[in-house]
Amino acid sequence: MKLESKVPSGPIEKSWDKHRFELKLVNPANKRKFKVLVVGTGLAGSAAAASCAELGYQVESFCVQDSARRAHSIAAQGGINAAKNYPNDGDSIWRLFYDTVKGGDFRAREANVYRLAQVSNSIIDQCVAQGVPFAREYGGTLSNRSFGGAQVSRTFYARGQTGQQLLLGAYSALMRQVGAGTVKLHTRREMLDLVVIDGVARGIIVRDLVTGKVERHWGDAVLLCTGGYGNVFYLSTNANSCNVTATWRAYKRGAAFANPCFTQIHPTCVPVSGDHQSKLTLMSESLRNDGRVWVPLKKGDKRKPQDIPEAERDYYLERKYPAFGNLVPRDIASRAAKQMTDDGRGVGNTGLSVYLDFADAIHRIGLDKVKEKYGNLFDMYHHITDENPYEQPMRIYPAVHYTMGGLWVDYNLMTTVPGLFCLGEANFSDHGANRLGASALMQGLADGYFVVPYTIGGYLTGNKLPKVTTDHQAFVEAETDVNARTKALLGAKGKKTPAAFHRDLGRVMWDNVGMGRNAKGLQSALSQIPEIRAEFWKNVTVTGEGSDFNQVLERAGRVADFLEFGELLAKDALVREESCGGHFREEHQTPDGEAKRDDEKFQHVAAWEYKGEGKAAERHTEPLTFENVHIAQRNYA
Amino acid sequence: MEANANCASKSPCRVFEFLESSIGKKIMVAAAGILLCGFLVTHLAGNLLMYVGGEAFNRYAEALVSNPLLPLAEAGLVGLFLLHIVLSIRATLANRAARPEGYQVYKGKGARTPGSRTMAVTGILILAFVVIHVATLKYQVGGQKGPDLFAHVLGWFANPWYSIFYVLAVGGVGLHLSHGVQSALQTFGVNHPRYTPALRKAGLAFAILIFLGFASLPVYFGFIHKTADACCATMEGGSK
Amino acid sequence: MNITLKVWRQKNAAAPGALVEYTVSGVVPEMSFLEMLDTLNEQLIAKGEDPLAFDSDCREGICGMCNLMIDGQAHGPDKEATTCQLHMRRYKDGDVVTVEPFRAKGFPLVKDLVVDRSAFDRIQAAGGFVSTHTGGAGEANAILIPHDMAEKAMDAASCIGCGACVAACPNASAMLFVAAKVSQYALLPQGQPEREKRVLAMREAMDKEGFGHCTNEYECEAACPKGIKLSNIARLNREFLRATIVSE
Repeated sequence: MKLESKVPSGPIEKSWDKHRFELKLVNPANKRKFKVLVVGTGLAGSAAAASCAELGYQVESFCVQDSARRAHSIAAQGGINAAKNYPNDGDSIWRLFYDTVKGGDFRAREANVYRLAQVSNSIIDQCVAQGVPFAREYGGTLSNRSFGGAQVSRTFYARGQTGQQLLLGAYSALMRQVGAGTVKLHTRREMLDLVVIDGVARGIIVRDLVTGKVERHWGDAVLLCTGGYGNVFYLSTNANSCNVTATWRAYKRGAAFANPCFTQIHPTCVPVSGDHQSKLTLMSESLRNDGRVWVPLKKGDKRKPQDIPEAERDYYLERKYPAFGNLVPRDIASRAAKQMTDDGRGVGNTGLSVYLDFADAIHRIGLDKVKEKYGNLFDMYHHITDENPYEQPMRIYPAVHYTMGGLWVDYNLMTTVPGLFCLGEANFSDHGANRLGASALMQGLADGYFVVPYTIGGYLTGNKLPKVTTDHQAFVEAETDVNARTKALLGAKGKKTPAAFHRDLGRVMWDNVGMGRNAKGLQSALSQIPEIRAEFWKNVTVTGEGSDFNQVLERAGRVADFLEFGELLAKDALVREESCGGHFREEHQTPDGEAKRDDEKFQHVAAWEYKGEGKAAERHTEPLTFENVHIAQRNYA
Repeated sequence: MEANANCASKSPCRVFEFLESSIGKKIMVAAAGILLCGFLVTHLAGNLLMYVGGEAFNRYAEALVSNPLLPLAEAGLVGLFLLHIVLSIRATLANRAARPEGYQVYKGKGARTPGSRTMAVTGILILAFVVIHVATLKYQVGGQKGPDLFAHVLGWFANPWYSIFYVLAVGGVGLHLSHGVQSALQTFGVNHPRYTPALRKAGLAFAILIFLGFASLPVYFGFIHKTADACCATMEGGSK
Repeated sequence: MNITLKVWRQKNAAAPGALVEYTVSGVVPEMSFLEMLDTLNEQLIAKGEDPLAFDSDCREGICGMCNLMIDGQAHGPDKEATTCQLHMRRYKDGDVVTVEPFRAKGFPLVKDLVVDRSAFDRIQAAGGFVSTHTGGAGEANAILIPHDMAEKAMDAASCIGCGACVAACPNASAMLFVAAKVSQYALLPQGQPEREKRVLAMREAMDKEGFGHCTNEYECEAACPKGIKLSNIARLNREFLRATIVSE
């Protein structure tokens, strides 16, 4: 397998323009002859499906939920970055590019990130044109805020519901095409396999989740926009239906999986309350703009927070990172919280949380102002925990939130399987080892609106694709595989539920492959995961039938894939003998506990190739070169 | 979309489409309702002349009956009633069909009012009352016949059953209006954070005033201020 | 604590359905209502019984997927909260809770508590958009939108499409959902070119799906987890009347 990034040569500012010019165009009359399958209807999927349909391609769009509007992009709270420089505070495309590469701890491809920064402004224009109600100044211009540690105000937002509004914008564009008959929308469909004919992606196998019917769909190109794999940890801020199945199936059909160990743990989430918990809830990062993070100085201090005097509190972020204070990047804030709880200074019943205190903010700017800025978040917190954050500090703890890893893609967003593209969180591309706040929405929409509509044309004209039908042997085989798997899941007739296996896997992942990783823990995970997997296939119980609406079967299929994928994640983490971004290897840290990269050995993308059942995956590398960004140890102190 | 395209330039089609639409139907029901409220006001004003005296009341009735435009007004009134009733029935049937399988438990969150819950019931009550009311007082089916309308009305009010029915029925009108007036405004699209709370109260006050105004007549003339000749009213038709 | 549930069970749209009683043990106050149902399901699966089918996804009140009628109230007793945001601390040991699906002709039942809300998608496809192509947009700040207008549009746009308005309405009317979308675009300059066309088309699509008429019972507003206001329905009525009169 060869990883060809296809990054255009020449100055980075010109790369994208040059590349767009060099891509061959599809004759407008021919566009409707091409069929594009888009899996997932989040920001990337909806945007891509709508944009491709506008261009004239036949598009079929698939989503696992009952409506395209429910994809998990909807839950993003904080905002979307763009280099508009409206506040006149020194932002530029170059600075956004630079910050993103640095934030990603120099593990992203420069040219991709530059393009992302470049199209960021068009995204805002596009969304405004769609009627997305971004926050406005009194004069009617767009508002910006500073977010996620950025030193410029480049984040556009719609209250704490930016993801929702951007997704509904993309969804409206998609539904417009559905109404016009140019997109055929298939809801409650789960992609269970990729069909590859002569080495080229030519279709997918999906299961109709209502009838249980397994369907074959052919296309000239397949776009996977299926989100991240955070649920491999069982508890995460992801929605229930977020899963790795589509990308994992694609991996098994030849698409390389890149940097699976790059996962992001978000520092401000509502802490776990008990075993029953099905998901974790994020509290927007914007809270750190005014909240102060602290723990008691003394270990095991059981006093109420109000009773702990100022002198006996440790505002550890402010202490350790005086320049950035509470606004350090996510990975650093998360790890610092873990250090505190590991040190026995965590708070709450479980000892697995730290305080985020607004007493000073309330004193400084007043209760009303705090209410205006964070009211909805405070209410949400109050609702979940039954604790009033206006009266006592919030308790927060890091939780798995985003996954930077994903299918390896080239500059065209095409995977190692020709004709298979991967967009949004599902690909590995732009965030390196750590994603900055408000960058995920930007990337999803960039990929969907402004990258793939061009690059897909280049692929479709550049390759002579023979006509295929769903009667092709490859379709038959893929469907047979899918059915066999369903049969195996239903046939195990064991004693343990899929959710229980998922919980077991999650525990192993969180304990050993979570915020702090070391060789011993990773090896332990690598021995435990196959054990859980073996037990799963023997002892899982799946009620009902395959030819029916069966949520247990859906869950079982996803858990089965997580049980395979988790192993690859741990392996990737073990081989990457350095700390970078969200990947923290305890063996590799500076004397004061910061991540220590090893640029000599690991300044590359690791992409894993599937070699067959029972065989070890092969690790390929794509070296990363930095010609425009000065490489340095990240320093937020 | 298609129907729109076909209809685009044909105005009768547009009207038909409007009347067939859920929103259009409701706007027409509301419009007819509000016009009927206007009728109620003038009717009540006329009735209140009873307090001035038999002569004034009869003179007013005479003037009304002798007005050549009266049949036209009456036809209009009947038309409004029919429009209000027919569209309401159609909407109600459509609403029933919109939930073929009901809930085992339906509680809601307390937004409904006694008036809104009983629109259909009060509507039927009002319709029954209007029929009896027109039959007994306009066409003088039953009761004391003759040109003295005042005496005729008093004759009916002397019948306690008739009076009680009358009060109940105008109670139904009040309840109907307690929801109807503000509901009609909302249907016309009148909703403003500053004025709507006041308008809602005004709608309720209007409903109460209409009720009190009408109900006072049988109460006063039937139970408090009984006249000699009223005692001779027959029971006939009184409790239909 | 123990909770007794009376839950609507129905194998599919064609099969007959009925309330079935279950007792869920080991319920703790920190659990969400859906986690309580998860617990029940785990117990059912372990016994080899078919678990309850119900929809949920984000479990933080934004995706609009969860949709239960709990003791006759859409999304349960809390104000401005979705089913997934309802916590068991609301209940006490021994409580009996009835759980039913959202009911409307426009939301045909799929299984147990799962219904098909694709009617909302079709209404959206009829006109719930601004017809702008990717790439054709002008500079964002060229469109000035007063702060308060943007906020009002945002209020309407925060609809999550869960269908609680339909479920709670005595007439199963979808007016609040349609009104929220129509309002968002009617308030914004971007929505003006298609203002009349949009409201006419969305109204038509709404009626075609078999939703009931709005009789201003206001239960939709009371049930809406996002606090979408009735003033939006008034605006929809206005917009429809206006479009009927002025559009050619």
